[in-house]
Amino acid sequence: MASTFKVQPTRMELIKLRRRIKMAKRGYELLKMKRDSLITEFRNLLEDAKRIMGTMAEKYEKAMQKLALAIAVDGIITVRSIALSRQCEPTFVMHRKNIMGVVVPVIKREEKIIKCCIEREYGVIGTTARIDEAVRAFEELVDSILEVAEIETTVRRLLEEIDRVKRRVNALEYRIIPGMEATAKFISFKLEEMDRENIIRLKKLKGKKAKRA
Amino acid sequence: MISLTGKHATWAYIVARVKVMKRNLIPSDEYRKLLNMSFDEIIRYLEETAYKKEIDELAYKYSGPRLLDYALTLNLGRTYKKIQDVSFGLAKEIITEFLKRWDIWNLLTIIKGKMVGVSLEEIEESLVPVGSYTMDFWKSLIPKEIDEIIKTFEGTPYYEPLSKIGQVPLSEIDDELYKIYYSRIIAMRPSELALKLFVDFIKMEIDIKNIKTILRLKREDVSVDEIMKRVIPGGFELTTEECGKLAAMPWDELTKSLEGYWFGKGIEIADKDLSRIEIQFDKVWMKTVAKRASNYPISILPVLQYMILKKIEVDNLRILGWGKWNNIPKEEIETQLVIL
Repeated sequence: MASTFKVQPTRMELIKLRRRIKMAKRGYELLKMKRDSLITEFRNLLEDAKRIMGTMAEKYEKAMQKLALAIAVDGIITVRSIALSRQCEPTFVMHRKNIMGVVVPVIKREEKIIKCCIEREYGVIGTTARIDEAVRAFEELVDSILEVAEIETTVRRLLEEIDRVKRRVNALEYRIIPGMEATAKFISFKLEEMDRENIIRLKKLKGKKAKRA
Repeated sequence: MISLTGKHATWAYIVARVKVMKRNLIPSDEYRKLLNMSFDEIIRYLEETAYKKEIDELAYKYSGPRLLDYALTLNLGRTYKKIQDVSFGLAKEIITEFLKRWDIWNLLTIIKGKMVGVSLEEIEESLVPVGSYTMDFWKSLIPKEIDEIIKTFEGTPYYEPLSKIGQVPLSEIDDELYKIYYSRIIAMRPSELALKLFVDFIKMEIDIKNIKTILRLKREDVSVDEIMKRVIPGGFELTTEECGKLAAMPWDELTKSLEGYWFGKGIEIADKDLSRIEIQFDKVWMKTVAKRASNYPISILPVLQYMILKKIEVDNLRILGWGKWNNIPKEEIETQLVIL
């Protein structure tokens, strides 16, 4: 038994261990609460994520249809030439947000992604409404992709955190706390045993003293 | 070279050549059949038409709808070149002037490609083999720096807007170049009937371009001033003032007031789906040109009408090819076709 619990069976150790058990139980309760809150937050986000991803898929379909139509009517050469007008990629900055200790990204668009027809890099006279519609559909898609990137990262980070907290809660519930309780039980049993040994030793000494007298 | 004397004989010769070429155009009823065909069947059908040569020629390089697209464009370029070659005198000048719009297109494509830094092959693939310059000329410009390209156009009307590259947005230069193209044509003094007919034809095109611009920008709630910056002056019925009035109107009022113009008759604008509305305008324009061409059978109009009809045929075949390839619904393909 002593080899299983590598502790000194002293009263001081028992007091320390009991303090640790109390703290572990408090930590366990807090982690359980954190896990539950994270799961609630995750569920709420999941609904949003599903909706946003669905919207992105719809926008992708729409953008591809518009592009197909623009290529069909205006020709691949025209569309390629107009695509060359785009001289810079859409830019964005990443900010941070804290959800119960989990750092998640917030994507802020540095420049407007969905632009008006006259703000784009191609002229109006030499192009058609089909090109405008295809470009707009792709601008909306890019905007949607950024939204998805933000929510997908948040969901993934929350999931990782839930998993981590869950593992901690399980470790505390099934391993650490029972282990510490067993050690404490072992120490108190040992201390009781030592007390009993002392009482018997004292009784024997008292008996010997009485015989001598 | 066939020697013809007299202006009437000149036009008669060109119109006769164009009439023969017109017979090779795909009849309107054939589009109904083509609509029910698959992509492969359309290609097989085209292999039996004037497009066979270009399809075979480019088959080593492209496949699928890209092959069709590039073959159609090459055929269009060759057809326009042929018309340019068979014409002479004023007719040749008019046709060359008309085709200069493709020069602007190719020039802008090269500049945009150079600015973005795409490969030379990619720029070359985006050029249209139509216009007053040869493809070799455009290809020679591709490896040059932007400044050198601009310098090449020194002395041409395009030089001034081109020299602003880097200082103003490219979209403004784009529009400015097209405005120069149209303004040069309408500034021609129509001393001859042929020239007058050509100028009127271009003025009608300006009307169509302007009304499309106004509707496109109104749909996006662009201010009147911004719309007017992109309006081409000198339309057939749509003067700059008229355009200003239309641009200031709310959408519903604007669509209603179109009925009073030559291009607005029979146009149905139920929603803001401009791609369909633009096709309706093209149809009206084409019908009006056809009517005028029948009034002046020995003039430049039948030639210009054929050039537009050829472009429409190429566009229709491309819509059919890409539409079938991308599984666009038959009804959608049909609405995008210009069948006269």
